[in-house]
Amino acid sequence: MDITAPTIILTLVWGVAIGCIYILLATGLNIIFGVMKLVNFAHGQLLMIGAFLTWSISVSLGLNAYAAIVVSMVVVAALGVAVERLTFRRVLGTDKLNEIFVSLGLIYIFENAAMLLWGTGSKQITSPFYGSSLSLPGISITYDRIVAVFVVIAALVAFGLLLKKTKIGLAMQATSQVSSAAMLMGINVEKIYMFTFALGAALAALAGGLYGVIFSFDFQVGAMPTIIAFAIIILGGLGSIKGAIVGGLLYGIAEQLATLFLGGIWGSAVAFALLIVVLIIKPTGLFGQKGE
Amino acid sequence: MQTKQAITAFLHSKGFQLLLVTFAVLAVLPIFITDSFFLYILTLIFVFAIYAASWNFLANSGQGSLGHALFLGIGGFSSAIVGGRITTALIGAMGVTRMPIGALSVLIQVLVLLVGGLVSAGIGLLIGLACVRLKTWYLAMVTFGFSVIASTLSSQFDSFTNGINGFAPATFVPGGYPFYILVIAFAAASVAAMYLIMKSRMGLAFRAIHGNEAEAKMIGINTAKYKLIAFVISTFFAGIAGGLYAFFTRFIDNSIFSPANSFLPLIMSVIGGLGTVAGPVIGAIFFISIQQIFALPSVVNYLQTSLGSVFPGVNNVGPPISYLIIGVILLLIVIFTPKGLIALFRRFYSYITAKPQPKEIKTK
Repeated sequence: MDITAPTIILTLVWGVAIGCIYILLATGLNIIFGVMKLVNFAHGQLLMIGAFLTWSISVSLGLNAYAAIVVSMVVVAALGVAVERLTFRRVLGTDKLNEIFVSLGLIYIFENAAMLLWGTGSKQITSPFYGSSLSLPGISITYDRIVAVFVVIAALVAFGLLLKKTKIGLAMQATSQVSSAAMLMGINVEKIYMFTFALGAALAALAGGLYGVIFSFDFQVGAMPTIIAFAIIILGGLGSIKGAIVGGLLYGIAEQLATLFLGGIWGSAVAFALLIVVLIIKPTGLFGQKGE
Repeated sequence: MQTKQAITAFLHSKGFQLLLVTFAVLAVLPIFITDSFFLYILTLIFVFAIYAASWNFLANSGQGSLGHALFLGIGGFSSAIVGGRITTALIGAMGVTRMPIGALSVLIQVLVLLVGGLVSAGIGLLIGLACVRLKTWYLAMVTFGFSVIASTLSSQFDSFTNGINGFAPATFVPGGYPFYILVIAFAAASVAAMYLIMKSRMGLAFRAIHGNEAEAKMIGINTAKYKLIAFVISTFFAGIAGGLYAFFTRFIDNSIFSPANSFLPLIMSVIGGLGTVAGPVIGAIFFISIQQIFALPSVVNYLQTSLGSVFPGVNNVGPPISYLIIGVILLLIVIFTPKGLIALFRRFYSYITAKPQPKEIKTK
């Protein structure tokens, strides 16, 4: 491919679009970490389930893909509540490593259940904008990518408002600061945990739906995005929402630029090299606080 | 002197005798059960037991790696490539068409495996230097990142590694029982070596760092140095396991660097019992057995006829069902007996040998 100005702009746009999906996933992971001090490595598998559910709903009910995403968000949120109650709650407060082990168990369960239910082939969700794109001089961008960017911005704004303006959002913030003090103030911390996990799962399902519209996916799609979302959070600093957004965009653009200049196999390698360099220079991430 | 004393004490200890008996029994077992599939499973189990034990060793020094497949892969690739070069040179020098199997080839096999371990340890030293300041999630992410980068580099320099299409390493020790004995010998030596190190003063330092790094530093332990040493030792054994894996399966390609391979030693160690000597071995036995039982033709046929129509999208329902079961068992173990199967065995053992006692004193 010729490397011209339009190609670079297109690459940047793609980087922003894929970065947005990573940001959604990273925000979900981050809010769960912030409130519960828990890292769910199986978060990307919720994205995968979200994508498959969206596909199933839009195919079997003939629903608009974007409406199907909303339905799958609700279902995955319920799944998130079940996961939190049945597994993570039981190891909360024990050794940190136990959370990684629970996540690995969940990854095995989700991936293989999805493989049994939906098969090994790859699928793609057909959206109403399928095949149409916005043509500008020199470049054309599919509408689905543009929609994805705006949906993510809207979701993040709504998320910010929820956190700052609503009672439950304030309760989440209080719990994330000192959960025992929040408990003393009459906040039902267990309910907050449940709500937080459901919210994170719903964001993952949204990311999955958008991913499934833009790219084709199979039952293994969740593994890399989890690690990437986690890398983004670490890049931006654990617990920092601003960091997640900056980290997500940086990662998406770095990945796409590396793919353009060095070839497809270099995409994740360069992005991880960036992460490693950042962490070696500053072991707590770009916006991270000291401690933990 | 101290090391000498430690080794003497170890040779007389009950644990060593148990280890010796276990491995001796395992070494002669295939003489009585002459099923080739059984031998295959046993060999695979002990290759992965070394790998899981190497991860567990690193975890004992307070460092959780999420990219150990990197060292499995480096060990596998370097020993297979070096083995290939040696074979070509020897065949040329001796004027024969293929490598003669004998004492020389066995010696070469051992040396080549050690080369794999050393190369892996060398890379481990470099990566360990980068990781020494990092903790928990950060360390996990960086080690994972290195395994992704290694996979890419292996594809980039394909003319050297042949990692994209993969290749078969040369044969030095014939497959089947001879190779099994080689694996058993390596497994016994590796497990014993790691056990000895954990029992030594160095091991004490590792455990102190694992307990509380700041306190370990305060009492005068050079934590950076010891963490680095643990990294090098662990990656050495992971490299050995990688070499054995490549020579045993007679194939190696870039998929050895996959995240799934990085997760394996964690899962095996947890199922067996984290931080114990026998834990990773028990975990490997458990994991590989379940995985391979569901690969048995009779089991696959049965499942396919009874469940195949329910799950039409899958060609073979065996593997996903086996991993589903492993996932559920992993969850149950983490939630109900976080110290693994070994803790269950111990509880069972003390239950059947229990004498009436006044009241059990609770220890943490």
